[in-house]
Amino acid sequence: MKISLSWLHDYLKTTQTAEELAETLTRSGIEVKSITTSGATISNVIVAQILSSEQHPNADRLCVCRVDEGSGAPRQIVCGAKNYKVGDKVLLALPGAVLPGGIKIKVGKLRGVESEGMMCSAKELGLGEGAEGLYILDPEAIIGMELSTLFPADTILELEITPNRPDWLGHVGVAREAAAFGAGEFLRSSVMIPSKKREGSLAVVQDSHACSFYSLRFISNVEVKESPSWLQQRLEAIGLRSINTIVDITNYVMMEMGHPLHAFDADKIQGPLTVRFSNEGETLEGLDGKTYLLRTSDLVIADDHGPQALAGIIGGMKSRVTQHTKSLLLESAVFNPSVIRASARAHGLATDASYRFERGSHADNAWEASARGAAMTTEITGGLVSDEVMVAGGVPVPIVVSFRNNRCRDLLGISLGDEEISSLLKKMGLTLCEVGWQIPFWRLDLTREIDLIEEVARLYGLESIEARTLSFFVPSSPIDKTYDCMMLLRRRLIAAGLHEARTSALVSSEGSSSEALKLRNPIGEQQSFLRTGLISGLKEVLKHNLYQGADSIRLFEMGKVFINSSKNEEMVALALMMTGQSTPLSWRGEVSRSLDLFDLKGVLDHLVPGKISYRSSVRALLPIMARMLDVFCDGEYCGYIGLMAPAEARKITVTGQEHPIVVAELQWTPLQQAIERETWKTEKGLSKLPSITRDLAMVMDMQVSYDLLEKELQEAQEPLLKKIIPLDLFTDPYGEKIAAAKKSVTLQLTFQHEDRTLTTQEVTASCERLMARLQELLGVEMRS
Amino acid sequence: MEQQQYDSLAAIQTASDTAALKEVRLHYLGKSGAISCLSERMRTLSKEERPAMGQLLNQWRNTFTEALEAKGKILLDQADAATFASLDATLPGTASWQGGMHPLTLLTDRIVQIFRRLGFTMAEGPDIDDEWHCFDSLNTPLDHPARQEQDTFYLPDGRLLRTHTSTVQIRAMEQAPPPLRIIAPGAAYRRDEIDATHLSQFTQMEVLCVGKGITLGDLKGTAEFFFRELFGTETECRFRPHFFPFTEPSYEIDVRSSTLSHQWLELAGCGMVDPAVFEALNKKRGDRAYDPEEISGFAFGFGLERLVMILTGISDIRMLTENDLRFLKQFAREF
Repeated sequence: MKISLSWLHDYLKTTQTAEELAETLTRSGIEVKSITTSGATISNVIVAQILSSEQHPNADRLCVCRVDEGSGAPRQIVCGAKNYKVGDKVLLALPGAVLPGGIKIKVGKLRGVESEGMMCSAKELGLGEGAEGLYILDPEAIIGMELSTLFPADTILELEITPNRPDWLGHVGVAREAAAFGAGEFLRSSVMIPSKKREGSLAVVQDSHACSFYSLRFISNVEVKESPSWLQQRLEAIGLRSINTIVDITNYVMMEMGHPLHAFDADKIQGPLTVRFSNEGETLEGLDGKTYLLRTSDLVIADDHGPQALAGIIGGMKSRVTQHTKSLLLESAVFNPSVIRASARAHGLATDASYRFERGSHADNAWEASARGAAMTTEITGGLVSDEVMVAGGVPVPIVVSFRNNRCRDLLGISLGDEEISSLLKKMGLTLCEVGWQIPFWRLDLTREIDLIEEVARLYGLESIEARTLSFFVPSSPIDKTYDCMMLLRRRLIAAGLHEARTSALVSSEGSSSEALKLRNPIGEQQSFLRTGLISGLKEVLKHNLYQGADSIRLFEMGKVFINSSKNEEMVALALMMTGQSTPLSWRGEVSRSLDLFDLKGVLDHLVPGKISYRSSVRALLPIMARMLDVFCDGEYCGYIGLMAPAEARKITVTGQEHPIVVAELQWTPLQQAIERETWKTEKGLSKLPSITRDLAMVMDMQVSYDLLEKELQEAQEPLLKKIIPLDLFTDPYGEKIAAAKKSVTLQLTFQHEDRTLTTQEVTASCERLMARLQELLGVEMRS
Repeated sequence: MEQQQYDSLAAIQTASDTAALKEVRLHYLGKSGAISCLSERMRTLSKEERPAMGQLLNQWRNTFTEALEAKGKILLDQADAATFASLDATLPGTASWQGGMHPLTLLTDRIVQIFRRLGFTMAEGPDIDDEWHCFDSLNTPLDHPARQEQDTFYLPDGRLLRTHTSTVQIRAMEQAPPPLRIIAPGAAYRRDEIDATHLSQFTQMEVLCVGKGITLGDLKGTAEFFFRELFGTETECRFRPHFFPFTEPSYEIDVRSSTLSHQWLELAGCGMVDPAVFEALNKKRGDRAYDPEEISGFAFGFGLERLVMILTGISDIRMLTENDLRFLKQFAREF
C-alpha cells in the first residue's frame, strides 16, 4: 500500500523526515518497500495562457504561439503539440528551467523563429504519463503560479502490510502507529455529523453472520463532476485514478480510514436494499463491465430487481454513480472476511475493497467512515445528507482481555515494572478496566493475552531485551546419526572425485515409474510427479554439462525418492553417474581410456570398504540399461550398477562424445546399516613375515567368469593364500595366440604364513593344487 | 711398468662415463688385464726378485683401485646431477579427479555444526504431509490463501507437499514431550513458476526450542549467536516485528555483515511459539505436555537457497538446480 507523506501529516504532527519515519514504521512492523518523491520540484515552470496560435512559416508541424505568463509582456513560443486551443492554460518552462532528464530550457530559434521557452506535457515535467500533448490545466489556474505551488512535492512510502493489521490499510492507522512509536503527535480526525439511526426500512440484512453491520445514508442534490485538484492529486499520488467526485470521495475515505465505502445511484435502486446470499442463476454486471454468474455463497446487495453489488468486492454497473446521478445511497458495512475472501477468489476479483474486507473491518470504523464520506460529499458536491441513517446490525461491545504482568515478563525475559507495562499498552490505545484491558475498535488482532504481550514486546523493542544464550546437553537423535552417515558417504564420494548434484524432486512422467505419486495440481507436465529415482535428474545434469562442453563428468546425488506404497513412501536414495576419461589429461602423454563399469565399481567398493559385492542381476533389465549387476552391501541387496544402453546414451550425448555412461542407483538403508557396523578394530597384528607372490597365467573358456574363478580359488581352503589380484586379461579374436573362444587371465596370488617364514616348496605345492582344482572344476589350463 | 702404471691412471681420468670406466677396470683388473697378467708372471720370477716386484705391483693395484673408485664416484655424481638437471620442475602437478559437495549441502552442514554446538539435535518429517501438520496445527485459518490449490501442491488423496519445514516442529512435539531443541533442514514446495528467484522446490532450515522458562531473550540470543557464527563476529542482527500465524510475538530478522554486502538483508522469520500451536498439539496428544501456562518456546526458519545466493554472489537461483560443473567445481575446495 502506498501512503503520501503530506496526507499523513494531516493526522500526524511530526518532525521526522521520510527516512526517519520509515525507520519508525519498520520498528513497528510495517515494512517500507520504497520511498519515492512525486509532484514537481522543478523551478521556472509557471502557468501561462495561450493568447494566439499561428502556423509556423517554415514548418508544417509547428505553430507559433503568444502566451501570457503574467509579466505583462506576451512571450513567443514555438510549439509542436496540437491538443490545445487559444485560451487554454498550460505549463510553460521559462529559459533557465531544467526538466527531468536534464533538458535545459533556453531562448533559441526553431526553424528560424525565436522561441522564448517551452510549453510542456505532463510526461516532460515528470508528472506521470498523462495524455499526449500539452498538459491543459484547469481554467481556474492562476497565471504566473509556479508549478511547485500547483503540484506540491510529496513523498510516497510504499508499505507492506501484514494480514493481521487491517487498521494499517489507511493513512489514519499508519499515523496512529507512528505516533505510538514516538514519531510525533496523533491528530485525531473526528468528523461526526449529527445523525439519527433508523432500523430496518431501506436496509435489510438477512444473514448477520455474513454482514454484522450495514448502514446507508441518503444524500440528495449531489453534483457529480470532476474532483477538485487537491483531491485528484492526493489519489493520484498514491496510484489511484481520479474518476468523479463521488467515486473519489469513497476512495479517499478508504485510503484515509482504511474502510471501503460504496455509493449507489439512489434513483436506480428499487425498493429496500437487502444484504443476502445470491439466488441460483443470478448475475451481476460489475463496474469493470464483466458479467458475473453468482454462486449461492456470494453475498450480494440486492434491490427488488436483483443484485446491485457483490458485497464488499465490486459495485454493479446498473446502479453506478454517473454524471447524471442526483442522489446517492452511501453504503458503509462490515462483511465477514471469509465470505468476501471466498467470493473474491471464486470470481478472480481482487479489489481495494475486497482486500480490506478480507482482513477484517469494524462497525465503529464503518460508522465513522460513513459520516466522513457524507461530510465530504456535502463539502465537495453540495449534497444534502439526510439526518437519518438506515442501519441494520449493531456495533459490537468492546473486547476486554485479561492480562498478567508476570506472564508478560516471563515470556519476554524482561523486568519491566507493572506501571511501565501499563504505559506501553496505553500508548497502543488500550484502556485498563476492572477485568482487564479494553481493546480499541481498530485492533481486531488483539483477542488474547499473548497478543497483548506481543504489543509490549513490539513497543519495548527487541533491542532492549537482553539476549540469553543457554545451552544444555542433548544426546544425538537417530536423525543426527543418519545425517552424519550421509555426510560421511558424501566425503567418500568426493574423495573418489565425484561432484554432488541436487535436482528437483518434481519430475515429468518420463522420469517416473508406475509406482510414482502424481500431483493433483502440477504447474506443468515437467513437474507433475514425485521422483521415484534419481537417474532421470542426473541424466539432465549430465546432458546440460555435455552441452556446456564438459568432457569428463562424475556425479552423484543423495536425496529423497517417493514410492506409492503404504510403508516406506519416502526414502533416501543414492545415485552415481559417470562418463568421460578414466584419468584427467596429463602432459606425460599417457593414453587415457574411457572410464567404464569397472571404474564405477571401484568407486562403489570404497563406499563401504570390504562390504560391497556384485552379482549378475536376476531382475529384468531396466529399459535404459545395456548391462546390469545387482549390488549387495554386507550381503543385503542394495541396488544396481550398470552401463547405459547406447541408444539411451545417444539421446543425451553430443556428437563426438563417445564415452560410455555408467550408472549406479542404491538404497540408503543397507549402506547406513553397514557403515554403522564399521569399527576401528583391526583384524590382527601386522605380520612382519615376508609374503611370496606368484603370477599365474591361465587359459580358459570365454564363459568362465572372473567371479567364478575367484570363488573356486577362495573355496579351495588353501590357508596360505591371502590375496588374489587379476593382473591381465587377454583375448585374441583371430585365434593366433590363443583360440578365439578362449581367454587368458593372469592372476597374482599372494601367500603368507601366520607365524613363520614360507618356503618356496610350500608355495609351489599350493599353486599346483590350486591349478589342479581350477582345471578340474572349470577346465582352466596353465599357460607357459 | 712405471709407464704402464701411468697409462692406467690416465685411462681412468679420460673415462667419460661409468661404462668406459668399467672397460678400463676390465683392461687392467680383468682376467687378462695388465695387472692380473703381471701377478701371474710373478710366479716365474726368482725368490729375490719377487718381493720388490710384489711391492711395486701392490702399490700399482692400490693406486689404480683408489683412482678407479674416486673416478667412479665422480662419474656417478655427475650422472645423478644430470638426471635432475634435465627435470623441468615447472610442469604442473599430476591431476586427479577432485569432487565436491553441492553448496547447499555445504551451507546446511555449516549451520548444523553451529546449532549442534548449542545443544540442538536434528529432526525430520516427511515431504508429503497433511493439512493438519502443515496448516491447522500451525494456527493457519481455514481459508488462508496459502492453502489454495494455486499456492500449494496437493496429491489426489488430499495430502500435500509441505510448504514449509515448520511441519517438523509439529511432528517433533507430537512425538516427544518438552524440553526439545531441534533443527531440521529439508525440502519445501510452493506452486511458484520457476524463474531467476523462484523454485517450486527449495530448502529450508527449521529451528525449534521448547521448554520451561524459554523467553524472547533466548530467541534473540540464539539467533544472534547463530548469525555471528555463520557470518563473522561483527555481524549485526535487527529484529523487525512481523506476523506469522504460528508465532507471537513474531519478527523478521535482518542481518548486516561485512562478509555479506554491508546491506541489511532479510534472512529469517522467527517468534515465540503461539499458544494456539501448543493447544493444537495437546489436543492431538491427548495430554497437557505442552501446556502454554507451563512451557514456552521459540522457533525460527529461513531459506537456504537465498543464503547460498548471497554467499556465492549468483543472481539466478536456477544455477543451484542446473548443477553446472563449472559452478560446482568452485566448491571442491571446501573439503
